[in-house]
Amino acid sequence: MTTTEELILEVLKDLPVQMKRNHRLFLTIPRGDLIKTMNILSSELAIQHLSTITARDTGNELEILYHFFLKGVMITIRTTCPKDDPTIESIVKVFPSAILYEREIHDILGIVPAGHPDLRRLILPDEWVGGYPLRKDWKQPAEQEAEE
Amino acid sequence: MGRVKLPIGPQHPALKEPENFTITLDGERVVDVDIRIGYTHRGIEKLMESRTYTQNLYLVERICGICSYAHVENFTQNVEEILGLQIPKRAEYIRTLFLELERLHSHFLWLGVAGHEIGFDTLFMYTWQDREVVQDLLEMISGNRVNYAMNAIGGVRRDVSQEHRKKVLEGMDYLEKRAAYYKEVAINEKTILARAENVGILKPKDALRLAAVGPTARASGVTVDIRKDDPYASYLDTPFEVITTNTNDVLGRVVVRVLEVFESIKIIRYLMEHLPEGEILMKAPRKVPEGESISHTEAPRGEDFHYLRSNGTEKPERYKVRTPTLANLPAVAEMLKETYLADVPIIIAAIDPCMGCMDRVLLVKDGEEKPGEIIDAEQLRRYSIKWYEERGWKA
Repeated sequence: MTTTEELILEVLKDLPVQMKRNHRLFLTIPRGDLIKTMNILSSELAIQHLSTITARDTGNELEILYHFFLKGVMITIRTTCPKDDPTIESIVKVFPSAILYEREIHDILGIVPAGHPDLRRLILPDEWVGGYPLRKDWKQPAEQEAEE
Repeated sequence: MGRVKLPIGPQHPALKEPENFTITLDGERVVDVDIRIGYTHRGIEKLMESRTYTQNLYLVERICGICSYAHVENFTQNVEEILGLQIPKRAEYIRTLFLELERLHSHFLWLGVAGHEIGFDTLFMYTWQDREVVQDLLEMISGNRVNYAMNAIGGVRRDVSQEHRKKVLEGMDYLEKRAAYYKEVAINEKTILARAENVGILKPKDALRLAAVGPTARASGVTVDIRKDDPYASYLDTPFEVITTNTNDVLGRVVVRVLEVFESIKIIRYLMEHLPEGEILMKAPRKVPEGESISHTEAPRGEDFHYLRSNGTEKPERYKVRTPTLANLPAVAEMLKETYLADVPIIIAAIDPCMGCMDRVLLVKDGEEKPGEIIDAEQLRRYSIKWYEERGWKA
């Protein structure tokens, strides 16, 4: 364990941090605690580098992973939201570099980051009406036609 | 003169990440920048969910045509981590060799492109000729100039022979001489200084705040290099320095890349002199147990991030890729503020993106969404060279 990891575990000691291997920490939080946790990362650990945001479809829920990088340690914050209410707080106010990554998860998985300043499409065309391609129930237009 | 909106982009279909920059101008000054990407989105992340790990090995390599190996390295590292494979030492060294050869050819390529953008085409001809030396070495070992298909889950597919080692070391001697020349050029040549000094400023605090990566961040004095911070392959064994400058401008981005060429040569020499004996490939199961893994590498352009979620089958559950150019886009928007239109091509080129974004330029007057004059990237490049020539600069 490096000194950075010890420091992080000390600051986050009240939270269920899981160490998967050296340099890889994971922390699962309810979505209501998102901004609170982001503020801790930003103010107490002085983290600035958000590597990216990953989101995936787990069936009934959407899982969102925020990957932060601090002095060699990758810290991943995991939260979920139900598919019928896919909203989470936007973290752009705390981490400005999240702006494009939040647009991306909104675009391809339909997750709505509440309070995001600019939720235009990022990857898909502006006139896209085909749903959210990275959800598991999404089918390619050709497959859909074949079924009908 | 009123404000003019100038959309630059979107794309050239052959390149990896086309962008559209809508630039709001006040006279010749850039006031605001808006970024739009996605014009050649190929749905690779979705496609990977329906392919086996072996098939994905070759798909992942095709995310990018220049830093293809950084992607395939991330993918194999992720799969190997979940499988719990510790690949042979010799395979790790060969992978590192390819990572550094890739950085060499990418940096030489970039230096030529940057020269071309400012109208210094002699530099372009020189660097692209030297880049051929690296391409020949890559082809000699792997059989391919791009998309080397070197990696397999559990090691590498081709070995490096004594003959190869000799040729690689000879190539490094030649490239070192050439790099020394480029260093002289970058630091002393007035053609470059006039166009690169104090242009495209990115302050260290902004580089950190906007999470810039790679040479772009290092030219703003931010000491970040995944090879040192979170070592992978054989970087832990290999001596090298992280290059930074504190000029925060395009010149700094030139200097960082030129000096990194020397570090890459140093690494490659070390690898060739200390290449361990032994196997290069171990057997790996086709099915990957349930799990998740994060791998990131220092690609030539910066941190390349991959995330794998596996589900116990022979296909991934979710695969996520974040390329360095996307991470650097917010920083580019910051660099372009308050500069001249004539500096836009070199500032965008200085983060080393695909150049496709410069393909089509559309003039919109006073924010009306009515297209005005349409010019293309070549015309913008010429405009920028002419603008400087009128002010006494000579290529």
